[in-house]
Amino acid sequence: MIGNLPFVVCMILVALGLWTLVTKRNLIKLVIGIGLIESGVNLFLVSLGYVRGGIPPIYTYAPADGPMVLPTPQALTLTSIVIGVATTALMLAFAVVIYRHKGTLDARKIRDLRG
Amino acid sequence: MSVHAPILAIAVPLLGGFAVPLLARLHRKVRDLWVLLVVLFVGVCVGYVAAHVFTQGIWVYVLGAKNPQETLAPGGFPIRIMLTVDAMSAFMGLIAGFIALVAFPFALKYIPEEEGKTLSLTLGILLLAGILGMAYTGDLFNFFVFLEVTSIAACGIIGFRTWTSRAPEAAFKSMLLFSVSGLFFLLGVALLYGEYGALNLAYVSAQIRGSVVDRLSLALFLAGLLMKAAAAPVHFWAPDAYGEAPAAKALLLVVNTQVSLYGLWRVLFTLYGGLSDAGVGWLVVSLGLLTMVVAALMALVQTDLGRLVAYGAVSQIGYMMLGVGVGLVALSGRPDYGFVAMQGGVFHMLNDALTVGLLFLCVGAVEWAKGTRDLRALGGLGHGLPEVALAFLLASLALAGIPPLNGFASKILIYEGSFRLSPILTAIAVLCSILLLAVFARAFQGAFLGPRGEVEGKIPWVFLLSIGLLVVGILVLGLVPGFFVEEIVTPAAKALWQGRALYLAAVLGG
Amino acid sequence: MEETIKIFTGHGYWTPLIWTLAALGVLILAILLWSRGRREYKRGTEQELPFLSGEKAENPRVGAPHLYWGFVEALRPFLSPLRDWHSGLINDYAAWFLVVLGVALLLLVV
Repeated sequence: MIGNLPFVVCMILVALGLWTLVTKRNLIKLVIGIGLIESGVNLFLVSLGYVRGGIPPIYTYAPADGPMVLPTPQALTLTSIVIGVATTALMLAFAVVIYRHKGTLDARKIRDLRG
Repeated sequence: MSVHAPILAIAVPLLGGFAVPLLARLHRKVRDLWVLLVVLFVGVCVGYVAAHVFTQGIWVYVLGAKNPQETLAPGGFPIRIMLTVDAMSAFMGLIAGFIALVAFPFALKYIPEEEGKTLSLTLGILLLAGILGMAYTGDLFNFFVFLEVTSIAACGIIGFRTWTSRAPEAAFKSMLLFSVSGLFFLLGVALLYGEYGALNLAYVSAQIRGSVVDRLSLALFLAGLLMKAAAAPVHFWAPDAYGEAPAAKALLLVVNTQVSLYGLWRVLFTLYGGLSDAGVGWLVVSLGLLTMVVAALMALVQTDLGRLVAYGAVSQIGYMMLGVGVGLVALSGRPDYGFVAMQGGVFHMLNDALTVGLLFLCVGAVEWAKGTRDLRALGGLGHGLPEVALAFLLASLALAGIPPLNGFASKILIYEGSFRLSPILTAIAVLCSILLLAVFARAFQGAFLGPRGEVEGKIPWVFLLSIGLLVVGILVLGLVPGFFVEEIVTPAAKALWQGRALYLAAVLGG
Repeated sequence: MEETIKIFTGHGYWTPLIWTLAALGVLILAILLWSRGRREYKRGTEQELPFLSGEKAENPRVGAPHLYWGFVEALRPFLSPLRDWHSGLINDYAAWFLVVLGVALLLLVV
């Protein structure tokens, strides 16, 4: 049970992010919500690679027959973080532009495109 | 050189896109020539790959191996990233390549220099690279990366006109929803990775036994990809995005939704193969029906020409989902009608890319000549722009499925296939086609008919070339459908319908 | 030649050839009828003006939003909830994603 705790924490983060997306009206907070989901998914990916008593997956450290931590999830997480930075930056940039046009970040007032 | 065609089709636009701003510093002509060369090169690569795949079967290309055919590392485990191009992937690649060949010459003329033409071309080429990556990859995480590449490039294009207030709004909403869909897709990939320790699509597919974790990740894939493919009730971003993006690039956004739909088919048919039961099929069918009804009704009340065409484009997604969904419902028994419906659904992807693409180009030409897309202000443009009016009429009729145009050829397959499953499905689909005909008759009347309207300036010949290419495509596909169905649609549909074993064997051997 | 045109639909087949021939026939018939018409019409004269109850209209253009006015009006009970559904509020859109996710989870996991 206690071994599954990291996964539970990740899912709580994802759920919090979704809750933010549905309830918060401020565009910056919505971006933070995306950030929360992203952290949850990234944590989940990294915790998948954990091996009890494992050694960092560096070639020179590797013993002949000991367990090593899986390097793939770490590579995936790094990639995912980089992608996350790009999407967050893009969203924040659009939020800035929207603010310049409208003078507000309230999602309820940014509804020109409807119907 | 030709051995590396699949990866070159992705790598050249990826690097070529970033080279565009550098070359623009040299000279604008150099940049334009470069863009055309890159797109032409992609077209040639995509065509070559398709010809190879349709004649000689699945093409596996392993990255980072000494020999690109060496799929398994020592120990019999596919550890490297690989591109797995089967007939369906090659088919999507063909669509993307053709649309790019049409869209980029148009874009070169359409976007003014002072509105950041260089950057818009860069984003367009990156979007093309992402689309081809999604179509060709045989690796789940790689698919996610290309999904995000297309999301970022697409949102850059959607919000390109930052000096208007509507475009950034559409871009923000789309980016938020794309991020959510991408992250949930990644969560699904992570669950599968945690269970099987592999990311290779074929390897994971061979391992899947239908445990709770498998089904959980299938649900995450479904939700994420349905959002990206603009299926109702998560289609809200699509009309905003298509409507606000520069018309020359809206074509590529349409292909982007289609390739997301292709990703969904890949997951349902290849990755989950026998496991995706009739329940998922019925979900896809019912969401498809909902999409077409909602989008057609919403198109009826639009007063902006771009947004009206955008809703028309969304409704066509519903037809593809209906066609392939019927196949999915019938997958376990594999009756003939399921395959007919799937042929229709797959064929409709090609037809939709051409017809919706042509409509967006016409909208772009109207906006170019008139400076507005508001149907209340437009009218009588048929006198000044007869070519555009004729092309718009042709595309509207094709989209509404009027024989003998290409839209009818694919829709009759969908109708006949779905009729055998349940006549109600066919009835709703036919009704929506009639509604769409009404919608586009209204758009045509509003924009092109009536007393002569003032037209500023002449339509450049490049516009007419792009429009003409699509018109020829629509006529050829409509008048000689048998050839295309036989040569490219049937292999593509077969690759989904019963090609799973071949797909796995191509990667895992045996 | 036949095979490059026909597509088989399970029940039968569809070929644009026959349809195109039939359409050509109808077109010829229409042209024949049209050619029997009166020849007094002249371009660029008063005859081009639309006739609206004997009045000369100033701007005789019927805009697209007016087309199907009655039809859209009759459908209003269906259309206005649909338009309200596309509320433009990003939170709603995210909530609908959750609904789809929930349906998929219900269908597949529970």
